[in-house]
Amino acid sequence: MTRLSFSVGFAALLALAPAQAAELPESIKQAGALRLTVNSTYAPMEYRDPATNQLVGLDIDLANEIAKRLGVKIIWSETPFAELIPSLQTKRADFIISGISDRSSRRETADFIDYLATGPQFFVLTENAAKTVMDLCGKKVGTTRSTSFPIEIEKWSKQNCEAGGKPAVQYVPGENSIDVRNQLKQGRIDAAVQGSETLPYAQQQEAGKYRVLGEPFSSGYQGIMFRKDDTALREVVTQHLAAMIADGSYKAILDKYGLGANAVAQPMMNAATQ
Amino acid sequence: MRAAPTLAGGFPDISELTVARQAHWRRWLTAAAIIVVLAAIGRAFANGQIEWVYVGRFLTATAILEGIVNTMVMAVLAMALGIVLGVVVAIMRLSPNPVLTSVAAGYTWLFRGTPLILQLLLWFNLALVFPTIGIPGLWSARAVDVMTPFLSALLGLGINQGAYTSEVMRAGMLSVDAGQYEAAQAIGMGRLRALRRIILPQAMRVVIPPLGNEFIGMVKATSLASVIQYPELLHNAENIYYANSRVIELLIVAGLWYLLVVSILTPLQMLLERRFARGSLQIAR
Amino acid sequence: MTRPIVAIRSVSKAFGEFQALKRVSLDVWAGEVLCVIGASGSGKTTLLRCINQLTSIDSGGIWLDGELLGLREEGGRLHRLTPQQIARQRLKTGMVFQRFNLFPHRTALENITEGPVQVQGRKREDARAEAMELLRRVGLAAKADAYPAELSGGQQQRVAIARALAMKPMLMLFDEPTSALDPELVGEVLSVMKELARSGMTMMVVTHELGFAREVADTVVYMDHGAIVESGTAADVLGAPREARTQSFLSAVI
Repeated sequence: MTRLSFSVGFAALLALAPAQAAELPESIKQAGALRLTVNSTYAPMEYRDPATNQLVGLDIDLANEIAKRLGVKIIWSETPFAELIPSLQTKRADFIISGISDRSSRRETADFIDYLATGPQFFVLTENAAKTVMDLCGKKVGTTRSTSFPIEIEKWSKQNCEAGGKPAVQYVPGENSIDVRNQLKQGRIDAAVQGSETLPYAQQQEAGKYRVLGEPFSSGYQGIMFRKDDTALREVVTQHLAAMIADGSYKAILDKYGLGANAVAQPMMNAATQ
Repeated sequence: MRAAPTLAGGFPDISELTVARQAHWRRWLTAAAIIVVLAAIGRAFANGQIEWVYVGRFLTATAILEGIVNTMVMAVLAMALGIVLGVVVAIMRLSPNPVLTSVAAGYTWLFRGTPLILQLLLWFNLALVFPTIGIPGLWSARAVDVMTPFLSALLGLGINQGAYTSEVMRAGMLSVDAGQYEAAQAIGMGRLRALRRIILPQAMRVVIPPLGNEFIGMVKATSLASVIQYPELLHNAENIYYANSRVIELLIVAGLWYLLVVSILTPLQMLLERRFARGSLQIAR
Repeated sequence: MTRPIVAIRSVSKAFGEFQALKRVSLDVWAGEVLCVIGASGSGKTTLLRCINQLTSIDSGGIWLDGELLGLREEGGRLHRLTPQQIARQRLKTGMVFQRFNLFPHRTALENITEGPVQVQGRKREDARAEAMELLRRVGLAAKADAYPAELSGGQQQRVAIARALAMKPMLMLFDEPTSALDPELVGEVLSVMKELARSGMTMMVVTHELGFAREVADTVVYMDHGAIVESGTAADVLGAPREARTQSFLSAVI
């Protein structure tokens, strides 16, 4: 093992070493609460239960469990997706756990602790003629415009459609995932793209309505987003997340939402390649 | 001849004295205080976490300029639609026919009684109610193909505006002296001809200043069409900050452009007001 | 047998509780000048406005040039005419209002040509030529391109008379034509009306100008409380009124 790779490996390990018991930052300890904000239009990660109007979801459950182990409560707030990163920057939120993808473009001022495997996925209405993802070349594909998916679609189209002489995918913007599914139902778009973690829930809600095409066409991770200088908070949260993975409570929460297959073996930092 | 009346004595003659200039010291103090506050705000903005270099960079970005053009195009077209509808509905409202009055009143109630953003969303999602639209036997099309963001925005903004404009027009028409309508009737004009040639032209004088104001409001209302994907200024600014996370900087860019447009339109609107609201002694063609 | 230009038979009109006209009957003959005098609220203006249907009647009938106004008889029942038919019936009368009611956004000439061109479909050049002639007749040829706001009250009223004449009516209705004028302007309007009378136009004039009535009217009608109290020649009604009410009215205004 070369000296360099040894140092890098050691450094990575150190970054996640649970050996040193990291402490909760003073301000949070004093407040006795974590301030978290979510974009609650993203079932099953975070959404309002239509029956009870309560804030529920995989991220909510994970965060609640982490907070319980930290001995603090959570003050929840909601915000549009595009406001998540600014909320972190302005310290309105202590960290972001809201179905946000770990991307290098976002790592300028933040670090991600990856906790869920994900990737953009094509899906269509069940009766649609498309059989494989290649049938989508030249078709209208929609996604939420405030996410990173428009860029992913463009990249996929260039690599898979245009490179093979086929017409490019036509991207159609939507305001949020509900708006996108709405457009799909109305026939304004032929296919839609959402994070693979949202599709089991959507299919369960409207049984038989949607059909997934292929696999997630770009693999990545959802990450808990921390400010770059907030190392203490990041380390203590990572410790507890690792513990949850070890004792099975993490898997239990994922299974509750049908996302057991998206589990990660351990929390990783900035591991996504996009 | 009577002598000039004598004045009662005791009052000093101050006709030679001049009035001293007032010090207005309180005004100076208030002005100074306001300047200090404004300077502090300005300094806070300058030193705040705004990356002004991004504001400068995107101020004339292609997407932004296209957004402004789309904003103005939509504002003009939607306002035109709103005025046409407003005139028609106002005439219906003042009709002797109770069916027409009820329809007009219903239209005004419906489109003033619901938020504009809700109306835009309904128009855009019309296909959920009517997947196909058309005239039976003549033409039909998929609603999603017809209700493009452009058309949805135009109908949403224009029909909503019509409800407000119709009230302005109605007030304008009622403000025309009743004798005008009688004189028109006396020379044999029917109701519609009298409205068209005699009442409406006179109502316009009263109506154009508030309509100018409504137009300025319309320019800003077009920003609501961003949620139905019409590529106006705000929508395009949002797309930029969705990609580069520079939320405040891009909102400032959009805000500056809206301010610029409104700052140009406002003195024009005042000129319009002065020209049309001149007293009845100065009616020019 | 000749018939009157206007035959008013048992006409009644109420505004809510107030009875403005009580079974009024009256004839107006071709070429005559008929003046209606009386206090405010006597119903004289209402009567005038019933003739060109600016006000509708509750009962009774008015025949203009032999045609029943506002109604047609069919199968023993009366049916209202359509607004278009009523508008056509109005073409036979011309009206001059107390407040002139000139169209402020049109010049004097345009005010006069508006009706002939728009309603009667006459050619613009012909209408313009006739309008100039009418302006000359009322002494305002020089003011053809002036807007009403630039004219004095007396001038506006004279233009209004020309506007009504342009439609070539068979009957001219005047509703207190000089009541809104400054005293020094009354004379110019009365001169125009006198000339019109001399030319043989049938005129029905509601007025307070008793001097005009005495000089020009063939018939004078005194109304009070919605009914005709006395009618006859100007000399009779104004000089030697029979009714006590007529006498007290005249003594109050003279």
